Amino acid sequence: MVRVEGPYDIESVRGEWVGRKSPVVRGRYPVEYDSIRRHCHMVEDTNPLFLDPEYGAQSEWGAVIAPPVMTRYFAGAGVWPPTSDEGITLMRQVPTRGERNINLNTEWEYLQPAKVGDHLSTQTEVIDIYEKSIKLDPRAVWIKTEMRITNQDGELVAVGTNTLCTHRTPEQVETEEGERPL
Amino acid sequence: MTTQTTPNSISTEQTFWNDVREGDLIAGYDLTLDWTKMVEQVSGSQDFYPVHHDPEFAAEAGHPAIFYNTGWTQAALCRVVTDWAGPGGWMSKFRFEMRRMNIPDDVVHARGKVVGKSDLDDAHGLVELEVWLENDRLGVTTPGWATVRLPKRA
Repeated sequence: MVRVEGPYDIESVRGEWVGRKSPVVRGRYPVEYDSIRRHCHMVEDTNPLFLDPEYGAQSEWGAVIAPPVMTRYFAGAGVWPPTSDEGITLMRQVPTRGERNINLNTEWEYLQPAKVGDHLSTQTEVIDIYEKSIKLDPRAVWIKTEMRITNQDGELVAVGTNTLCTHRTPEQVETEEGERPL
Repeated sequence: MTTQTTPNSISTEQTFWNDVREGDLIAGYDLTLDWTKMVEQVSGSQDFYPVHHDPEFAAEAGHPAIFYNTGWTQAALCRVVTDWAGPGGWMSKFRFEMRRMNIPDDVVHARGKVVGKSDLDDAHGLVELEVWLENDRLGVTTPGWATVRLPKRA
């Protein structure tokens, strides 16, 4: 997010940014076993559909699949080494009042599984920007985006929307609004 | 009548659409958010935003503690669905709202409930689920909703 200090015109930001799309970007790596294993580890998931190559080969999918909620992960670049994730870059370029952010609502439609070996791509579009008060910031700026994820054959794998709330620190709110939140 | 899965086990048995009833409860599982679990959420999600692992950073932003990230949250909810649905089920729609925070030392209970079902075709039906994470401090922190395609019994 690009923090704007001083006057902030939400309608101007909406007019400039709603409808903007990132390029279609290919994920850094194909869908792979070990990232799925780490994902499962954090919630103690031992489902063999996600972890066992032999079980996956005999399932109706014919291979280990990623848990559906990992689809976005494999369509991205990951965090290291640093690179440009165009979808995230698009979101971070939106002018906001604060640089702090909280991810709030996420909604997905999963059309087919992502199998180990698939290579996913994504395109992100800013679909809404609006102001809404939260406890931390009376003029928090919310950014809603849509992501369309496709596989190596160009087939649509998933469509998701995400709502990100951006806000200022309590010190910034106090300086700019004259009153400390909370 | 309610249907319950065994806590902390995964189901490799198939759930069939015909057997599901509105009101069935999904027993789900529990997770204790100790500091090892905090490290696992960063590793598993690859989300290194410090508000999820650095208490000083979180406090500076006005939060009472670090809080568990989106990747961990959606993984926890997804597991409720995929454990219950079995290997032939498919979660076709999923949404959730991060209304309150899960923080260190919380014990999180991941649960679900069948709230609707409808016919799809000769071989499959759809089931609507409510799923949620709750902790002992705040109650429900993260409500979610899923649509699952299940096979019918032959």
